[in-house]
Amino acid sequence: MHKLLDILASGVHDAKNQLFIAESLIAAAEAKHGLKMSEARYAIEAAGNRLSRTLAAYGILRHDAALGVTPVLVGDLCEEVVLAQKSHLAGQDIALTVDCQVFDEWPLDRDLVTDMLNNAVQNAGRFARSRISLSAREDGGWLVLSVEDDGPGFATLPPTHGTGLMVADRLAALHARKGQQGSLHLSNGSSLGGARFELRLP
Amino acid sequence: MSEYNKKRFLVIDDQPQARDALRTIAQTIGAFAVEFASNYQDAIYRIRNNSPDIILCDYVLGEGRSGQQLLEELRRFNLLPDETIFMMVTGEQSYEQVVSAVELVPDDYIIKPFSPDKLVLRLDRIIAKKNFFAAYYQEKRKQEYARALAILEAQRSSETGRPYRFEIQRQQAEVLLASGDAEASEKAYRSILENYEFPWARAGVARSLHKQNRLTEARAEIDKVVDSTPHFFDASDLKASICMAQGEHAEAQKVLDEVAKKTPRNYLRKRMLAEAATLNGDSETARATMADVIANDTMPGAISPEDRLTMARSHLDGNDKISAEKVLVGLRDVEIQAMNLAEQASFAALLAISSPEKGKARFAGLRPALLASELGPTTSLDVMRAALSVSDHELADLHAEQLMAGIEAKKVFGAIRKQYALYGRETDFREIQKQVALKRIHHEEKSQA
Repeated sequence: MHKLLDILASGVHDAKNQLFIAESLIAAAEAKHGLKMSEARYAIEAAGNRLSRTLAAYGILRHDAALGVTPVLVGDLCEEVVLAQKSHLAGQDIALTVDCQVFDEWPLDRDLVTDMLNNAVQNAGRFARSRISLSAREDGGWLVLSVEDDGPGFATLPPTHGTGLMVADRLAALHARKGQQGSLHLSNGSSLGGARFELRLP
Repeated sequence: MSEYNKKRFLVIDDQPQARDALRTIAQTIGAFAVEFASNYQDAIYRIRNNSPDIILCDYVLGEGRSGQQLLEELRRFNLLPDETIFMMVTGEQSYEQVVSAVELVPDDYIIKPFSPDKLVLRLDRIIAKKNFFAAYYQEKRKQEYARALAILEAQRSSETGRPYRFEIQRQQAEVLLASGDAEASEKAYRSILENYEFPWARAGVARSLHKQNRLTEARAEIDKVVDSTPHFFDASDLKASICMAQGEHAEAQKVLDEVAKKTPRNYLRKRMLAEAATLNGDSETARATMADVIANDTMPGAISPEDRLTMARSHLDGNDKISAEKVLVGLRDVEIQAMNLAEQASFAALLAISSPEKGKARFAGLRPALLASELGPTTSLDVMRAALSVSDHELADLHAEQLMAGIEAKKVFGAIRKQYALYGRETDFREIQKQVALKRIHHEEKSQA
């Protein structure tokens, strides 16, 4: 029964190893020749994330996806998203700002939540004019993570769900604590005037 | 950025290309001294001889072994100082689920592919955290538990401790358990669980209850963990220990057998499996498992005299006195002299059973000591068995009584009954059982009065 999952997981694992070899070679070339090839590395990491997300989506469709929850410092989480996205966005003249008002650890699946936020920032980057903001705050026992842009906003609400959104929606709901479940909210209520992605975790 | 050019790195990966990639990344962040280990043994050898500052270890190590197993072995044998950074590198998402469940965790893990910048970000954080806990690590290493706890308590309420509160609580619970205060550690783990249902904290509750000999409750807690996180192998080990303490040896063997199949080269687990099989009366599995351990556990100094005694015991259980004798006679004099009293007693007892002409005199020589001391349950069983075989009723009955009155009574009850039956002394066994029960009732009445 697990055979298909094992084959997929092993394929993804090998592919990510190859991507890592490619990234290390680029990093070495950058250091040796004083080059800046961050867009090449960005593409490699995006491919890696895409593979991970595909595997996660498969698990979700089989209804046996499980989270790996650890206490995560929310500021660290935001910092990693910025590290992954900032330079790429700067290349498109889009500024990414962070406002993290949560200073404690929060129990969540670090890799999945980081991937969701990366994905949201990437999506925002396609529509934003010049600004994206990532923010974190606590609201009555909930952790609220949001990504807003100054683009035109969603044409229809709710937006037509692609794989990424379906996965994010289900992964949010898998975050359960003290009888409450996480959720995802998409709207045009951005304080920057465009789309707003909001992830609420218990 | 910290000065990574002054740190000594060790890269552990069985794939040459992946190893090179890790070295390249380490060099990009300034590393100058980067050593390699291409397999498990090599890694242990290098860490033992000259502990590096930063270990980058791939999760998949080949030959049926994982980086997680390496980490667990290093921690159990105290080969990894708290100051050393252990970073797991993995392309497997499933590792995240392992880390979130288990008790023995690396400082962090990072998923491939990753940039040098991301590695620096993660390492900088670990260094900050290790600096924060530096004073605590020192006290913990000296086993100054009261002082270690005092440091943690002060840090817990400090503002600088704010980013590390979960870790502080986790360390507090671990130190309380290590110091022997199982009631306090149970409370500490339960307070972590109030925040979130972490499998490792639930296992901590079970461990604490086991230490308090509250077996039924411990079993209920560990069952929850094993059912919900089957990849948390140590939880299965703990479940097996609790089952054995409850006298449920068949269940213990089943649990260990399943998990040992998934971790074929974890020899500590195999030793436990042999113990469970012995208690369960499955001498063939016990013998085959110990033979595997002795032949294949290549950790330097890993095979102890205790292992040879277990091997001899499993031969005796299978009625093979000649093989048992061969194992015992194969022990060198220096090894026997270096044994503690319990091991010496087991050695003499097992030899007396397998070869009376070689062992009887030695066993008789130890008799005064054996009458005067309380030994562990395994040794006590050996002594009882040898005493039965030489018709030394006084010595046999004394140890049977000690065993049945002891806290591990349920674990060894079946074995005692079997041995008495073997020598046609069932009536005497029931008499001892009655005496122990009467003494217990008497004792309880006294303590209630």
